Amino acid sequence: MSDKQTIKHRGAKGEFHFAYDDLHQPADDGVDMKIHQELIVFIIWAISFVALSVALPNFFTEGNLISLLRSVSVLGILAIGMAIVVIGRGIDLAMVATMAVSVAGAIVLLQQGYSIPVALLAGFVFAVLVGTVSGILIAYVEIPALFATLAMGLFIYGVGRFGFFNQDIVLIPPEGGSLSWLGAGRVFGIPVSILFLLLFAGLVALFLRYARIGRFIHAIGDNPSTARITGLPVRKLYVLSYILSSTIAYCAGIITATGVGSMNTRIVNSTMLYDVILVVVIGGISLSGGKGGVRNVLVGTLLIGTLLNAMTIMDIQYTVQNVIKSMILLIAIIVDSLLNPRDEQTAQQGDI
Amino acid sequence: MTDILELKNVTKDYRGVYAVKSVDFTLKKGEIHALLGENGAGKSTLTKIIAGAVAPSSGEMLIDGAPTSFAAPKDALAAGIVMVYQENSLVPALTVAQNIYVGRERFYNRLRGINIAAQQLMQSLNFNVDPTATVATLGAAQKQMVEIARAVSQNARVVIFDEPTATLTPEEKHHFFGLMRRLKQSGVAIIFISHALEEALNYADRITVLRDGEMVTNGRTDAFDRDSIIRAMVGRTLSKDIYGTAAEERSIRKPGKKVLSVSNLSMANLVKSNSFSVFGGQVTGIFGLIGSGRTETAKIIAGVLKRDFFHGGEVHFHDQSVRYITPQPAVRDGIVYVTEDRKLEGFFEAMSIGENIGMGDQAINGGPLSVYSMVRVRRLAGEWIKSLNIRAINEDAKVIELSGGNQQKVVIAKSLVQHPKLIIFDEPTRGVDVGAIVEIHNFINSLADAGLAVVVISSYLPEILAISDRVLVMRNGRIVEEFDGETTTEEKIMYAAVH
Ligand SMILES: Nc1ncnc2c1ncn2[C@@H]1O[C@H](COP(=O)(O)OP(=O)(O)OP(=O)(O)O)[C@@H](O)[C@H]1O
Ligand SMILES: [Mg+2]
Repeated sequence: MSDKQTIKHRGAKGEFHFAYDDLHQPADDGVDMKIHQELIVFIIWAISFVALSVALPNFFTEGNLISLLRSVSVLGILAIGMAIVVIGRGIDLAMVATMAVSVAGAIVLLQQGYSIPVALLAGFVFAVLVGTVSGILIAYVEIPALFATLAMGLFIYGVGRFGFFNQDIVLIPPEGGSLSWLGAGRVFGIPVSILFLLLFAGLVALFLRYARIGRFIHAIGDNPSTARITGLPVRKLYVLSYILSSTIAYCAGIITATGVGSMNTRIVNSTMLYDVILVVVIGGISLSGGKGGVRNVLVGTLLIGTLLNAMTIMDIQYTVQNVIKSMILLIAIIVDSLLNPRDEQTAQQGDI
Repeated sequence: MTDILELKNVTKDYRGVYAVKSVDFTLKKGEIHALLGENGAGKSTLTKIIAGAVAPSSGEMLIDGAPTSFAAPKDALAAGIVMVYQENSLVPALTVAQNIYVGRERFYNRLRGINIAAQQLMQSLNFNVDPTATVATLGAAQKQMVEIARAVSQNARVVIFDEPTATLTPEEKHHFFGLMRRLKQSGVAIIFISHALEEALNYADRITVLRDGEMVTNGRTDAFDRDSIIRAMVGRTLSKDIYGTAAEERSIRKPGKKVLSVSNLSMANLVKSNSFSVFGGQVTGIFGLIGSGRTETAKIIAGVLKRDFFHGGEVHFHDQSVRYITPQPAVRDGIVYVTEDRKLEGFFEAMSIGENIGMGDQAINGGPLSVYSMVRVRRLAGEWIKSLNIRAINEDAKVIELSGGNQQKVVIAKSLVQHPKLIIFDEPTRGVDVGAIVEIHNFINSLADAGLAVVVISSYLPEILAISDRVLVMRNGRIVEEFDGETTTEEKIMYAAVH
């Protein structure tokens, strides 16, 4: 080995390379580990979108694209809420129940003659309450998130179904008609609901990346023990993340309900919750926490939303749809593990 | 042919930056081979390549003269190569015995059977660890023993130890090297990585030194001495030796204001009625054997653990009685604990160096709605990378991608940005190379000079002697003796710790 080579090499290591900086987002989110998965999902989406447009006569029509965007927007907003919790190494299985019950509750108030702001506020407060209770159960009583939120979802659905409303479908009364703009309106031809999705995506992306609290949520997901010892308010952060997911679920619910003029609470028993988790995971957010961001959610939403829409158009049986969805998830995970083989030492910490 | 393993021209690069570059390496049957080098020199990476945990970018590996390549550690295992990693890889929720036999369970496992087997193994190694204990309840040294036991139980032909002695006490080290000799006699070839050069000089047959991923020199141990190794490692001579001479030149600092006073502190049967004080402007060293309750005492003070509810004793910080339930208020009041187990609770692995340090900073600065400034993070990263000489392939590298010693430096930096008034270092130089030990010790000294109360917990006597103005010795959950840093000796401290 000549001296010259050694010196050159020392330089390379000693003074850091910034060649990557152009490609890199500000040091963040394990982006470069997962960029592959994001990219793959995006490419798969693009290919399937083109293929579907060619193959299905009623896919690439204005009517269908609008309805696609609408369904995607609700799925996407829910997934953004879920992502916050998952990045903090939790999971919120009560999201869909929270959405259905809080919105149904608000509608019932409207039916009883309360004004729109009062009804909306009451629903919001209810959602905050649900998030707070879940968060406290998880952070302070130390019940695993899986059980706490599962129980919470069942509980509020039960209470709502027998306490607030007695039919499955709760109709928005005519006085609430002005709200329909939220779910069904358009601005320059673009559905308002998709604008809401973009709004939430933007706000949450900024929050997760640039807000102090947002970074803290990454930290508790990355390593809760380190977060605690570093002096972060770990428990309060847990509670906060569930409050955020609940209130985001409420907003998604308002958009759903105002779009169709009613809240169908049977949605709680549908596979919607799994679709949301699917979107989060397929976009590349690790269930073991600390990694990922809103961008991952958006690609996941595109792919899953498009496929759900296409399968509905093709009139594929519900059960078959589930088989297809699960296949997609498996393929995504396998491809990811082939492209990003893990080193023995990194693999050891609690991946699910 | 006596070469059991041969690497030819092996290279590994991460995103274009070399971790290991064109390295040739041979391992002979029945030899102990020490692998030395600074933090980030590529030692762990090289051995991970041998153990099949990392795939080389190019190069050739021969086993018994036959070209081989491993796709995964299990292939290496099948070829008789076992590695004990630098950071522990045990499953916390399983027992010691289960961890030793994990991955090798038979269809039906009798718990009693593996417990007995593990017990026998532990006894034959002279390790004092209960096979039925859950790994989560063990200290760092005991975890290390379990790792070693697992490697030994796999009947390997080649065993690789990555910094095996960093967490062991002198007595345990003694056992460990005895064990290594026995393995060697039975024909096993051993590679071990260490930052304690004496260990290499005393126990290795051959030595290989890496620098910046390249092999700089190798040869029989007789051909080396401490100075020539250091020269090879760092490419220059270190101005002063860390231990020994440095300690003699030092003058002892006088105690300043009493910062912390602890009385009758108790927790379960780990800390028993412990009382002592810590003063500002000096370094208080705490020595004790593993299991003497040093870490627990420190963690109670910093709010990481809770003392007994009844008769738990008192802690006074700056003459105020404090009882922290979580570390958050302690950190805000200025008590910071730097952990001994960096992987478990020291750093955020998916975050960059700057973000890790930034977390420490943000924990005490900024309100609930404040914005996390990337500029500030970059500035902090730049400052600390320079002052602690942290090395990474680039500034944005995630901490999980750093070498062990560099991770340790990040953990220290993350605590120092919190402007503590009382800082407790638990094994601060574990896994850190000779040059960096000097830097960290200088840092600790400058903190004390600046008036901070500094506590250093260490199992390494020379470190305690080199850095402490006062030495407290802990045994069985309480401080049993106090020495003056100037006049005490290794013998006196050891005697107090054991008897
Ligand atoms: N997975 C990875 N991704 C990127 N870079 C890595 C990765 N693993 C190691 N490196 C880089 O390779 C270099 C060599 O690291 P290695 O862990 O082999 O050092 P080491 O000699 O074991 O040091 P130490 O004594 O501190 O343990 C370091 O600069 C490190 O940052
Ligand atoms: Mg290493």
